[in-house]
Amino acid sequence: MSHQLRVDWPACKGRGLCHELLPEIVDLDEWGYPIVTGPITDDLRPDAASAVRACPRLALRIVD
Amino acid sequence: MNSPVPFPDDLHVHPGPALLSGIAQGPSLPAHRTQYGVVPNVDTRTLTELVTAVGLRGRGGAAFPFAIKLGAVLERAGRTRRPVVVVNASEGEPASSKDTALALTRPHLVLDGAVAAAQALRANKVHVVLPGERPFAAAGLRRALAERDDPVEIVEHTAEPRFVAGQAKAVVELIEGRTNLPVTTWQPEAESGVGGRPTLLSNAETWAHVGLLVHVGATAYRRFGTSGEPGTALLSVTTPDAVPHVHEVEYGARMRDVLPPSVVGAPVLLGGFHGSWATWETVASLRVSVPGMRSLGVALGAGVVHAPGPDACPLAVTVRITDYLASQSARRCGPCLNGLPALALSLHRVLDGSGTRSRVEELASLVVRRGACAHPDGTVRLVRSLFAALPGEILAHAAGGCLAADRSRRLAS
Repeated sequence: MSHQLRVDWPACKGRGLCHELLPEIVDLDEWGYPIVTGPITDDLRPDAASAVRACPRLALRIVD
Repeated sequence: MNSPVPFPDDLHVHPGPALLSGIAQGPSLPAHRTQYGVVPNVDTRTLTELVTAVGLRGRGGAAFPFAIKLGAVLERAGRTRRPVVVVNASEGEPASSKDTALALTRPHLVLDGAVAAAQALRANKVHVVLPGERPFAAAGLRRALAERDDPVEIVEHTAEPRFVAGQAKAVVELIEGRTNLPVTTWQPEAESGVGGRPTLLSNAETWAHVGLLVHVGATAYRRFGTSGEPGTALLSVTTPDAVPHVHEVEYGARMRDVLPPSVVGAPVLLGGFHGSWATWETVASLRVSVPGMRSLGVALGAGVVHAPGPDACPLAVTVRITDYLASQSARRCGPCLNGLPALALSLHRVLDGSGTRSRVEELASLVVRRGACAHPDGTVRLVRSLFAALPGEILAHAAGGCLAADRSRRLAS
């Protein structure tokens, strides 16, 4: 079962922690907002969970 | 910023075969009851059969099958609380006038559809969302509401004057007493909408079709349209120097038949500000059809047909619309807030010959699918369609010219 990282766009203010914690699947655009580049693979599950917890805007969710 | 196609303060509604038949009798409740009788009692099974038999699709732009939405509401309603019915008549798209036309000529067909569904669903309430930028349309619906005495509570709301205020999630916010702007939701409103209740939210025209169906039945409804796509659709036609015209046409009808000779030969914007450009050759061969138009890379959307005519430059029109759409962002989602103005600027540079398509496409790919609502996606659809359908117009500007100016000169000489 593959999971996806979803951004709550109105909540996100482009702080960029998700990119620091999960560079494998999160790039930043030219304004500093996350670009999710792929699904959360099994080996990335712990880092994805950390990114969700660390987001200062609580703007990330892991969805099926 | 004013819309490049102004919100109408007047319009011409043509009588039509189904929804718009008998409009000469006026919009009053007595005239409506004389034509159709009282709202029949239908149960959820009958309602489902009716909308399934005619393949009814939502008329707000996405053409989503109504039966699927109804099914989702029914499934959730069975387990939890009583559902809610919402009539979305906000019509925030300036080039659309069809819901306004219904408000002025057929308000009771719209309300009958919603009331019949509410009774079938044993709904808690019917919410009616009136347009914020069309006072005469709002007044038409208010007059109609004041004439009625329905067995279900009807609550009216007025949308904020903003393009994105009519998005389904923004409408739920409005009804719940919060700011009328789109938000992130993790479930569709059919499952969890107003107050967490399953919410059957549809565009005013969709409800008018439901109203017609419960009054006349599926067999009579299927007399119009094609066997694969029964029924009719409302088209809002805007052309230079004319009030908007609203036509009800059968599915399968020729698109060019609603266009005046003055715009023949020039590109047409189909589906509104979130729609797609089409060459005149495409438009001339087009039949009004959701799947048929999709197969040609254009969308019927909410039925907007904007024909700026041979003197208008489609690139300049797109620049003005994109500027307007950027100004209409709710300014909450970063990629939309930053990306739409940048996208508009990149288009200005293509217009004056100093910019390139690659920068436009780079920005388009940065905003698409990155927001709480479909505003960035719709804006990108418009911009990409310009480059895909009308590459000659773009090339002319890169060379310092303009095909519209050439067209005008040819006509003048």
